Formats: sequence, structure tokens, C-alpha cells
Amino acid sequence: MDAPAVEATALVKEFERGRRTVWQRLRGDPDRRVRFRAVDGIDLRVERGEIFGLLGPNGAGKTTTMKMLATLLEPTSGSARILGRDVVSDAREVRRRIGAVLSDGRSLYWKLTARENLEYFAALYHVPPDEQRQRIERVLAAVKLDDRADDYVERYSTGMRQRLVLARALLPDPELLLLDEPTVGLDPQAARDLRGRVRDLQSQGRTVLLTTHYMEEADQLCDRIAIVDHGRVVALDTPAGLKRTIGATEVVRLEVSAPDAAHPVDGSLMRRLGSAGHVAHHEREDDRLAITVHARSARDFVPVAFDAARAEGVAIQHVEVVPVSLEDVFISLTGRALRE
Amino acid sequence: MSPSRFAADLRAFGAAALKEWRLLRRYPSLFVGFLFWPIALPVAYVFQARGYAGDSDAALDAFAARAGTAEVAGFLFLGWAAYMWISMILWGPGTALRTEQVRGSLEALFMTPASRLVILFGPAVSQVVWALWMFAIVAATMTLVFGVDLAVASALRALVVIGVAVPALYGLGALFAAVVLRFGEVSALVQTVRGVFTVFCGMSFPIVILPEWGRAVALALPPTYLIADLRRVLLAGSDLAAVVPDLAVLLSLGLLLCAAAVVAFRRTERYARRGGSLASY
Ligand SMILES: Nc1ncnc2c1ncn2[C@@H]1O[C@H](COP(=O)(O)OP(=O)(O)OP(=O)(O)O)[C@@H](O)[C@H]1O
Ligand SMILES: [Mg+2]
Repeated sequence: MDAPAVEATALVKEFERGRRTVWQRLRGDPDRRVRFRAVDGIDLRVERGEIFGLLGPNGAGKTTTMKMLATLLEPTSGSARILGRDVVSDAREVRRRIGAVLSDGRSLYWKLTARENLEYFAALYHVPPDEQRQRIERVLAAVKLDDRADDYVERYSTGMRQRLVLARALLPDPELLLLDEPTVGLDPQAARDLRGRVRDLQSQGRTVLLTTHYMEEADQLCDRIAIVDHGRVVALDTPAGLKRTIGATEVVRLEVSAPDAAHPVDGSLMRRLGSAGHVAHHEREDDRLAITVHARSARDFVPVAFDAARAEGVAIQHVEVVPVSLEDVFISLTGRALRE
Repeated sequence: MSPSRFAADLRAFGAAALKEWRLLRRYPSLFVGFLFWPIALPVAYVFQARGYAGDSDAALDAFAARAGTAEVAGFLFLGWAAYMWISMILWGPGTALRTEQVRGSLEALFMTPASRLVILFGPAVSQVVWALWMFAIVAATMTLVFGVDLAVASALRALVVIGVAVPALYGLGALFAAVVLRFGEVSALVQTVRGVFTVFCGMSFPIVILPEWGRAVALALPPTYLIADLRRVLLAGSDLAAVVPDLAVLLSLGLLLCAAAVVAFRRTERYARRGGSLASY
């Protein structure tokens, strides 16, 4: 069967904001809850064998989307199919075929060992009894916990717990994995380690759909990325393709000291800089200006910037040249930084 | 439902029981702590009864005429044992599911293809262990301390009565669990229901002393039958045939309550999948 791993069409989820207490109901107070769209018409198609990332800021609707795909939330409208099966009308079949990591290590039973946790979930996933032992050994090995399998989970580190949550999701031997912020809260080493495990999953032929708000993670790990903001997909491409859209190869960050707030130079300085590059973002903080410029070549742009500063009577304090990142793509798409 | 899926869900249920048992094993002190109340509570009532009425023949005859047995201690021990079992069942499953909801494991459970019945009734399984432990303590105290004569045959009959009460009590527990998941808390409801049971089900007195309307209420409540029949088979020497009509009512109430619990749980699940409350912190 070659239905795509994930196919979402005009997926919408509305929630109610605010609350209505029993007391308010009894008194017949007007309903002051407002409906808002956490997911506002998402279209996605994830092919089999891909690592696909949803990248977006807090509250963008990433988790809500994942929960709809995992059958935990019912879409308000639109539809989603997982491996060719509808997430609402065929929910049980979907559950048999996916593994999802939507929660952290707290969702394990800390007073049980890793193996006991997995034995319980293996039964819930209907793993045949004669395969159970072997299946558990395999998922433990996949997350490199085989030597600690009989320790109580309460003795685990945060990173080990997160890996055990991933092992649990692997129990049904799923073709598709949904990972919501799999590395959040992990130290850099543990996060790197977990990314390694995710790549292993791909090399075993599985499809991975993950969310993150770490742009480096999305960049390194994902074959394709959908940038999500306010419940919509604002761009979708390979990491390299996304970076190409801003038409620059390098990003120059300038810090200018411009104390004379009475004669703001901001406007005219930006015009001069704009002749040699694209001013993507500028922000004043007291008597300093932080400016981000997308440039075809930093080598050509930087001298122009110094000339412009001299002409405006301000001083450049600091220059930094970095390659284009997904952060820059996000800023150019939304005018905001990803991490705020 | 296909036979293989049914078998798989049965295994899942077994695994839920095993998990609960393994969790209990980590808290051996709970079993010790639990020794005290099933003994202390009825003992206090036994002394109260002696204090009020003494143990003259006249007093005991008056009691026996209403209660069907002159074993004051046995009567009270059985009433309170049933009450404590009921309390555990009302609190247990709801608290267990609520904990899973808060920690995020409820979502992990709902993502599995296992039947929702496993999730709903699974946590209650550990309560069986507690119930048996408590009835064992109560039986030991009754025979060793108060000299109540419990024959093996009547103990077996009591186990049958307890078994027949299981659907009613677990149905009630599961119903409360569905309510906890929907509203995030049930203590008001549990306290009310426990209060009603204490007044009407005859834990510490024979229900014949209730006014007529009170007896009518009592007959609609499953614990009434459990308590009365435990006393009949253990203290009054009745055989099972004598309590069959009662047991039939108890079983029917049980099936009704289980069905109500399943319906309530389905509604709770649908509500949760609309509003996103499977995980709530
Ligand atoms: N169950 C719910 N009820 C009401 N509002 C909700 C619910 N779940 C999420 N929301 C709201 O929906 C919006 C999207 O939330 P969501 O958790 O999907 O974002 P996210 O992209 O995962 O963010 P983060 O990076 O912080 O995890 C937010 O405004 C959030 O407050
Ligand atoms: Mg999220």
C-alpha cells in the first residue's frame, strides 16, 4: 500500500478559552467562553521513510496537531489519514500502527522497573505473548537501555526516562512515530543521543513526524520541515530550500551605538544599509541598535555598513557573520523571533 | 469483537492486574498500616454496644430479635468490613485514573488499541487484594479475639456473597472514576454517597429499625444486600439457597451499574477528545 504516512487536509481544531463553572450555569449567566483556533487549516503530506519536522514557536499548534494525528483529539473539521486510515472513523487501526511520544518521563510508572513498564504496555498494545519477550529486548536495545532494564525508573536520569518513553512507543513496531518535542528538557549530550536514536529509526525504514522549537534540531534532523505559526503552515520545504527562500547566503548582525535618541538615525541608516543587503530586523535598546541583515556576501556588505555608520555619525560596536539559519527564515516569514 | 481481540484484551486486563500488584509490592508498609482500622473501628462499636445495653440475656435477645443473630461483635465487624471495602472502591479507581491523567500516562493508555474497559476497570483490580486482606484480618480478629465461631463452609459461602457483590461495587467505583475524569474531582459526591450508605445500609445497626421509607431506600442500595447476606451466611447459619433472591437483586444492580459506568466513561472520553482534557494539569 502506498498511501502516505500522514495526510492532513484542512485540519482545524477549535478550543474554548475561559471557563464556565457549574455555578454560572445554574445562575444562567451568559456564556463568556470564546472559541479560538489552535490549529487553523493545516495541510500536510508526510511520505514514508521521511523525518518530517513541525517547527514553530510556543502555542503555534504543534502539540494539538500531533494529538489529532494520534487519535487523542477529535478535529473540529478537516480530516487526517495515517497510513491510509482515518484518525476518527478508524481510530483503533491507527493506534495499532503508530507509536507516539507526547509526554515526558512522568508518564511512566516510576515505582516499576523499565521492563515492568514495557510488559504492561506490550499487553495493552496486544503484542502476542510469545513475541513479548523478544519485542521488549529489541525496544530496550533500540534506545540503549538494555543494561538498565531491571532498574526502577525512579533511579533513572531524565534522559534515560525520555528514552524509555520512546521505547514504549516502539512496542507496537510502528511504521510511523509521532514525537512531540522529544528533546525538550534534556542536556545537550542527552539530546544529541536521542537525535541519534531518531536517525536509527529512519534507517530501519520507519517514518518520523516530530515537533520542535529548536531550529538547529529541525535543521540537523529533518528531511523536510513545515514552519507553523498561529495554527497554519507558513512554509514547507527541505531545510536548504527554506533557507534559500530568503535570498541570502549570510546573515550579518550589527550592534551600533547610537546614543542620540533626539535625532534618531534609525531610518536613514537603515536606508543606507538596505542598498547593500536586506534589513530583516532592527531593534533599539536604550542607546544601542541591534540590526540583522541578510546579505549575498558579507565581504561586500560589511565595508558598506562601516561607511554608512560613519556617514550617520554612529559607531559599529560589534559585527557577527553567520550562515543563514531557520531562525532567519522564521523571522523573515513572521517578523518575530522563534524563541520569545 | 473478534475472539483474538477479546483474548488480547483479557491478557491486557491480566497485565493491568499484575502491574497493580507490582506497585503494591513496593509499599509493604501500607499493608501493616491497614491492619489497624478494620479492627479499631468495629471494636469501638462493640464497646459502645456493651456500654449502652450491657450483655444481659434480655439485651442480647432484644438485639437478636432485630438482627437475626446474638453475635454483636460479628455483626459489627462484618458491617464495618463491608463499609471499608466500599470506601476503598469508591476512592480507589477514581484516584488511580486521576493520577494517570495528571501525570500524562492516561494519554499513553488511550493511544493503545486496548479496550477502554481495561483502562476503566484495570485499576480496580488491586482493590481485590486489599479486600481479601481486610476480610482475612477481620475474620482472624472475630474468631481469635471475640470467639465468633466461623466454620469453613460458611466462610466459603461468604466468599460467594462477596463475589456476587463485585460487579455492583466495581460498577460504582468505575462510575465514579468516569466522573472524576470528567470533572477533575469527586470528593463531594463520594462523601455524599458514603454518608447515604452509612445511614441506610445498616453497617452498625439492623435496618429493621429504620422507618419504612428508610427501608425502601436501603433496598435500592447494593451494600445493604452485601452486609445483610454476609451476616446471614456467617452468623445466622443460612445456606446459600436462602440468600439467592437477595443475590439476584445484587447481581442485577451490579450489571446496571457496570453498564452505567461504561456509558459514562464513553461520554467522558468523547468530551475529553473534544476539549483536550485527557491530559490536564
Ligand atoms: N485542551 C486545551 N484547551 C484549550 N486550549 C488549548 C488546549 N490545548 C492547547 N490549547 C491552546 O492551543 C494553542 C496551541 O497549543 P499547542 O500546545 O498545540 O502549541 P504548541 O505549538 O505545541 O506549543 P509549545 O511549543 O509551547 O508546546 C495554545 O494557545 C494553547 O493554549
Ligand atoms: Mg507543544
